[in-house]
Amino acid sequence: MNTRYSDKRSLPVRVLSLLGKILILGTASIFTAFPFIWMIISSLKTKAEILNTDIFLPTSPQWSNITGIIFNSPIPKYIFNSAWVSLVIVALQIVTGAMLAYALVFLKFRTNKLLFTIVMGTYMLPVAATYIPSYIILADWHMLDSFRGLIISSTVSIFGIFLLRQGFMQIPKGLVEAARMDGASHWRALWEIVCPMTKSSFITFGLMNFISTYNNYMWPSLITKTSDYFLVSQGLRAFFIRDGAYGTEWALVMAASAVVVVPLLVLFAFTQKWFINGIGGETGIKG
Amino acid sequence: MSKKKTKYKRRYDSLPTVLLFVLPALIPLIVFWIYPILRSIYLSFTNWDYISPTYKIVWFKNYASLFRNPRFYEALWHTVVFTAGTLFPTIILGLILALLLVKNFRGSGIVKFILFSPWITPTVAISIVWSWIYKVDGGIANTILTNLGMSPLKWINSSDTAMLSVIIVTIWKSLGYSMIFYLSALERVPGELYEAGALDGAFGWRQFVDITLPSISPTTFFLSIITMVNSLQAYDQIQVLTQGGPAGSTRTLLYMYYQLGFQEFNMGQATAVAVVMIILTAGLSLIQFKVSEKWVHY
Repeated sequence: MNTRYSDKRSLPVRVLSLLGKILILGTASIFTAFPFIWMIISSLKTKAEILNTDIFLPTSPQWSNITGIIFNSPIPKYIFNSAWVSLVIVALQIVTGAMLAYALVFLKFRTNKLLFTIVMGTYMLPVAATYIPSYIILADWHMLDSFRGLIISSTVSIFGIFLLRQGFMQIPKGLVEAARMDGASHWRALWEIVCPMTKSSFITFGLMNFISTYNNYMWPSLITKTSDYFLVSQGLRAFFIRDGAYGTEWALVMAASAVVVVPLLVLFAFTQKWFINGIGGETGIKG
Repeated sequence: MSKKKTKYKRRYDSLPTVLLFVLPALIPLIVFWIYPILRSIYLSFTNWDYISPTYKIVWFKNYASLFRNPRFYEALWHTVVFTAGTLFPTIILGLILALLLVKNFRGSGIVKFILFSPWITPTVAISIVWSWIYKVDGGIANTILTNLGMSPLKWINSSDTAMLSVIIVTIWKSLGYSMIFYLSALERVPGELYEAGALDGAFGWRQFVDITLPSISPTTFFLSIITMVNSLQAYDQIQVLTQGGPAGSTRTLLYMYYQLGFQEFNMGQATAVAVVMIILTAGLSLIQFKVSEKWVHY
């Protein structure tokens, strides 16, 4: 809270509250970080060490567990699948989302309000409720068990439309109109004027949707059955339950999880502020 | 300002332009969102089993048998327990952490990074890690409990503790999200409010109750709705940790929907559950919409 006004408190009270603060934040950080740390420690253990509860750290780190996953397992293929499918999906979502948001904010047409209501109405609906009919559609189009099916069913992000609309509304309408008077098309106005001015919304949109598509599990696991098309979550889950691994090969399972999770943590370390903007800053919630 | 400009402003954009900008998003939205929702509602009135090419309209029979099925009420109850069990800790702990972190200090960046990191990692990966932590023999959770002098638990292997285990993982995952949300809300509380409060002698707890809490109440409200909607749709951690078990003790409505639709191919019953979920979510959204409308001029 606002310590500027709490300075009138006596010294012992201030020391106690500082200790309390350290205690709470410390406990929360340890609780949150522990599963990651435990995952990495476990991934470096031998088969014998991992089953012995008295051993906390491995005597000599088994880096071969990690290299085995990287060079001798399907996990890197799943990471690659996830990465490129997500890139394609997010690129499409950005184009479709930016165009719709532009229409909502800058174009004048009679059904503008209605369109916004429709988009708004779908925002909070449980996406799982669409899965059975969407599955049937993809089956009819012979797109089950393919990257095409994954991509074509995810070309729109309602969250992204909201995020961009929020950003676009901050731009003075006159700017776009002036460009139009100078003969620029709406298409050019969108990409050469609006887009550069709302770059941060675009970056947040891209990163957040990349991560959520990359990690997505339920829908991809319903429509893909061949491991060639597994995204990383489904691939990891398949690796986890593959015959014999469950319960005996915990070190390898942890190594596989680490190979999946650590790059994401590194990516997040460099892009943290865009996520924070996306969640807290640009949701348009007053409070 | 020239006359030309006002004239331009009044003109509607041409239909082809509007369609060009709207359709790339609207067509997929209709095909994969709006139509499927309507189709789900329609299918919930049929007895379709996915395999046979024909089916009959059975009207409310799916709903009637659903509302007579104890499994449905169990799943509904589990959904309520799961939602409440994740909602309150996520909101309260998120607020406490945000209050402690709102003023920057040395190391506050790294604390924020740690607390938020579970949110960006795949739920499947971290659920696998948690199932290793929860392992009855040799899992670190029981090792810690034993060292603290407590008796070990069966975690995801017992119907008494499985829900608790899933809730812990979900809180662990979503805590950082509510913290970030609250942080930005706290930063937007106008400083004059605290100054005015200070003149009236509002410090510490009084300051928190009289000034901070009312100022951030719209955020609390919005966050509650979002957390509830997310809890209604939780799947990944349940699928990896318990698959709805043991003995159905972690089967939520969504998981029941998944089992009915994609394991038992009882499409009529499954879509009936989906419609119940749509109604619940729509109800929550409507409340959120109405209340925030009231609070906008706050």
